[in-house]
Amino acid sequence: MMMQLLAMPFMQRALLAGVLLGALLALLGIFVVLRRMAFFSDGIAHASLAGVAVGVLTDTNPLLTALGLSAILAAGMAWLERRTKIASDAIVGLIFTAGMATGVILLSFKRGYQPELVSFLFGNILAIQWSELVLMTILAVIIIIFIILKYKRLALMILNPEIAYLSGVAVTVYHTLLYITVAVAAVLGLKMLGIVLVSALLIVPVSTAKLFAASFRSLMVWSVVIAELAVLIGIIISVYLNLPTGAVIVLVGIGLFTLTLSFQKLRKS
Amino acid sequence: MSAISVKNLTVKYGSQTILNRLSFDVEKGSITAIIGPNGSGKTTLFRALLSLIPHEGTVKIFQKQAKDVLSRIGYVPQKFDFDRTLPITVNEFLSFAYGRRSLKNNQICHEVRVDALADKLIGELSGGQLQRVLIAQALIKTPDLLLLDEPSAGIDIEGAQAFYDLVRHLNTEHGVTVLLISHEINMVYGFADQILCLNRDLVCNGPPREVLTKEVMEKLYGPEIGLRGHKHL
Repeated sequence: MMMQLLAMPFMQRALLAGVLLGALLALLGIFVVLRRMAFFSDGIAHASLAGVAVGVLTDTNPLLTALGLSAILAAGMAWLERRTKIASDAIVGLIFTAGMATGVILLSFKRGYQPELVSFLFGNILAIQWSELVLMTILAVIIIIFIILKYKRLALMILNPEIAYLSGVAVTVYHTLLYITVAVAAVLGLKMLGIVLVSALLIVPVSTAKLFAASFRSLMVWSVVIAELAVLIGIIISVYLNLPTGAVIVLVGIGLFTLTLSFQKLRKS
Repeated sequence: MSAISVKNLTVKYGSQTILNRLSFDVEKGSITAIIGPNGSGKTTLFRALLSLIPHEGTVKIFQKQAKDVLSRIGYVPQKFDFDRTLPITVNEFLSFAYGRRSLKNNQICHEVRVDALADKLIGELSGGQLQRVLIAQALIKTPDLLLLDEPSAGIDIEGAQAFYDLVRHLNTEHGVTVLLISHEINMVYGFADQILCLNRDLVCNGPPREVLTKEVMEKLYGPEIGLRGHKHL
């Protein structure tokens, strides 16, 4: 049964996309937690509905339009944060609601059931196409290489921008790049988890790894391991039990967190 | 010779003037303390010196723009706020700032007693230990200029004394120019070569014994304050 499933192209695409997205979201999640920008990732995922709607209305792949719009919004948010006195969470709140509202209005022009739209709202990694997988692979690999090469600079920029500046880090560039990469990763993650649940894979693996990791390097490794476990176990359970994949992945992640926390508490007592 | 030369430095946030036409020089190899009440613009002055914020007037550090001499400047921030539950070791934090460097046999780390903390998590350090790590990150690049923003805030008297001894040692033995913001007026009185009194304007500039008069202190902190019990005043 398992071998038969693995031989199916849709399953191969789902597993490949899941492994890539697991690593991508887990690694970026460390910086999301370090910079306390969980609301940003959640906001940008919701705001991308406007991009999805543009894709649906113009018969363009909504993944492309959502990626483009979210990258522009992320760069705009980074700029507003630097150049205005508006609080970060207020900026996210404005973009979040403006994007959602625009998406809802645009989608009202399109009648009938929209399978593409449903897959963005709730995620459906089993329905991912080869063209989407290729795009996902290119973007995910670029971002993962960027993080592996520059994680020290990113971490220092978040810990203290002044020290980072004096160490030769181009703070403004890294700040904007972090926002854009989180936005792109969140939108790619929509195909797996959906708008509502995508931030789970940014937050849950690092929150679990944090419970026992003894260094930043081990935090990076364990966050990825935990994310991959949640994704792979989640996909397999969802196929066997015919349940929504994104939701199962999130619950497996939460289960791993609860198990780790309980084990930690038992060991301490 | 000047390490820092400032002419007509003005910083405004909107219509509010934070620093008003400051002009001063900091001599190479000196220890200069900046004092002033809360909100007087001390940290803003540091940020302007480093070109981190827009400003009017000219700032030269070692006769150049700040951005051209960043590698010669060490900086200890006033605030170091982070998620303390995130596991980052002292060794990792220092390597974030200055590449892969082993703390073993590092003279600076030994001098500031950070070598023994290498594998500890920065979130689990005491206030004094974290301060020593921040000082180590500033010193490890062997700077010619050290900017210290309230460096002994949050550490006990013994720790503060040890810190000032270290700064004095760096200054006398290694020729490092030191510019520090401090609230401990009695401490800097006997410690600094030059005092800059700041309250939006530059209220005083000169050796502490000459410029820290009762009038200046009242101008800075109001009529109730003085250098209590200090024999020089």
